[in-house]
Amino acid sequence: MDLTLTKARHLLRQGEASSRELADACLAEIRSRDGAIHAFLDVYEEDARAAADRADDRRADGRSAGPLDGIPIALKDNLLYQGKRCTAGSRMLATYTAVTNATVTQKLLDGGAVIVGKTNLDEFAMGSSTERSAFGPTKHPRDPERVPGGSSGGSAAAVAARMCPAALGSDTGGSIRQPASFCGVVGLKPTYGRVSRSGLIAMASSLDQIGPIATTVDDAAMLLEAIQGRDPLDQTTANVEPFVPDWREDLAGVRVGLPTQAWGAGIDRGVRERTEEAIRMLARAGAEVKEIDLPYADEALAVYYVIMPCEVSANLARFDGVRYGLRKEGLPLIETYAAARAEGFGPEVRRRILLGTYALSRGYYDAYYLQAKKVQSLIRGAYEEAFREVDVIATPTAPTTAFRIGEKTADPLTMYLEDIFTVGVNVAGVPAVSVPCGDAEGLPVGLQLIGSWFKEADLLAVAQVVERRRG
Amino acid sequence: MSISREDIERLADLARLKLSDDEIRDAERDLDSILGYVGRLQKVQTAGLEPFGLAPTETGWRADEVSDCDDLTRELILSNFPSRKGALLNVPAVFEAPKG
Repeated sequence: MDLTLTKARHLLRQGEASSRELADACLAEIRSRDGAIHAFLDVYEEDARAAADRADDRRADGRSAGPLDGIPIALKDNLLYQGKRCTAGSRMLATYTAVTNATVTQKLLDGGAVIVGKTNLDEFAMGSSTERSAFGPTKHPRDPERVPGGSSGGSAAAVAARMCPAALGSDTGGSIRQPASFCGVVGLKPTYGRVSRSGLIAMASSLDQIGPIATTVDDAAMLLEAIQGRDPLDQTTANVEPFVPDWREDLAGVRVGLPTQAWGAGIDRGVRERTEEAIRMLARAGAEVKEIDLPYADEALAVYYVIMPCEVSANLARFDGVRYGLRKEGLPLIETYAAARAEGFGPEVRRRILLGTYALSRGYYDAYYLQAKKVQSLIRGAYEEAFREVDVIATPTAPTTAFRIGEKTADPLTMYLEDIFTVGVNVAGVPAVSVPCGDAEGLPVGLQLIGSWFKEADLLAVAQVVERRRG
Repeated sequence: MSISREDIERLADLARLKLSDDEIRDAERDLDSILGYVGRLQKVQTAGLEPFGLAPTETGWRADEVSDCDDLTRELILSNFPSRKGALLNVPAVFEAPKG
C-alpha cells in the first residue's frame, strides 16, 4: 500500500475505493508490520471501521465533511482523544483515559478523519530516539537495530512503513523534524501559535507545537490547513491569516540562506553530500543561494536546555499520585507524592525535572532562567536579521542518519547534541520542515528548511521543489 | 561549577522525587555535564536586553467563568482518580494524625 492523502482523496472521490477499504488496508498493514516496528501503542480497529463506515454513508448521501473525510490518520500518544487511553509514553499515565479531545483531535474528527491509533513516543516527548518510552522502543522501519528518531518516532515510523498515510506529532526541540528525517518522510513544525496546543500533554509550553508527519509536502500542507487556527482554549494561538498553500513552479526570486555556523564541522559525510545536492537542486530551480551569518547556534541549544527543563519541572508537578494513577496508600502526603513520582517517571524525565528545579531555585534563577530568556531575545533578533536577507534558511535536519539503539543513551549530553540544528527554530518560534533528500548508506537524510514567522506557505513551496526535483 | 550530592538531595526533595543512592550519583554526574554545557550562556553579553515574552493577544485573558461539563466528561474525570466513593474523591490526609 502506497497511499498519500491526495491519492486517498482521489480514490474516494472517483469511487475507486471506500473509506472502509482504506481503513481495512491500514489496519491489515499495522497487523502485519507493527509487531516488528512497535510504532503503535494502541490501535482502534472497531472504532476506525465504524468511523470509516460513517464516512462512506456521508459520501453516499453526497454530504462529505471535507478533504480528510474518511481518511485514516494516527495520533501521537500525547494528544487527547476522548475516552481513549493517553499515556504520553509514561508509566505515570499508563491507565489514564482522556477526558476530552485535544483541539486538533476534534478538528480531525469534525473533518471526518478516521483515527486508527496512537503512536509511541519518548516519555512525555522527552528524547530524540523513542527509546525512552515506558512501553518499549519503536524500531526504524528499514533496520530494526536502529532508532526511528524521536520523540515522535512512532508517528514517523508508522507513516514511513505505510501503516497510515499521515500522523500528527509534536515538536518542542525537533521532535517532528528529526524522526521525519531519520525515517524518510516529511515533518512540519508550524510557527508557534499557528496550531492550538489545547489537549496536548505539555512538555515545555512556550516551545511545544503540534504538526503533521506525511509522505508528501502536499499532504503535510493539507493536514496543517485542517488543524490550524485560533482557539479560545489556547491563549497563545495567534490571530493571523490562515495558512493557504501557494505552490511554485520554480524558485526565481527566492533567496535561500545557508548559515555558516550550521554547515561547518560535525555533519556526517553522507548527510552533507545529500543535503548539499538538495541545495544545488534549489539553485537549479532558480533560487538565489547564499551563505549567511546566523549567530548563537550553540547558545540556542544551551537556552533550550535551560528553558525546557524549567517548564518541564513546572508542567509535570501535577503528576503527584493524587489526581492521576499510581497512588501509594498509607504514606504521609509528601511521601505519597515522592513515591508516586519515583515510580511513575523514567530517568530522562527525572533528570529534566531536577535540572529545571535547579535552574529555577533561589540563587540560580537569574543566572540560568532569566539569562536564558534574555539570550532567547538575542536569538529571535538574529533570526529577524537573517529573514531580512533571505526567505528561507536551509540546514541538515540532523547531523547524522538514524543511529543504533543504545548508541546514545549512556550520556544525556550526546543525545541532546542530536538537536543542534532543530532547537533554534523552537527557541525563535519560527516554522520549519524536514523534507527527504535521498539516502546515505541505505538510510534516509532530511533537509531542514526554516521560514519566517507564519510563512509556512513559502517554506512548503521550497520544500515541494526539493521533493519534485528528486522525482 | 560543580554540583554536590547534597545539592541533588535538596533538589530531589524540592521536586518531590524519591531517588535511590545510585540515582543520586547518576544525577550528580549528569547535571554536572549538562550545566557545564549551558554555562556558556553566562558569557553572552545581555546588558540592556529584556527577557523574551510573547505579547499578550488582543483578546486578552479568557473570562474566569464556570463552564458546563457534560456527563461523559464528568464521569471520565472521576474515573481517572485513583480512589473515589461515588462522585466523591478520596485524597490522602493533608495533616498527620492529631496529637493525642
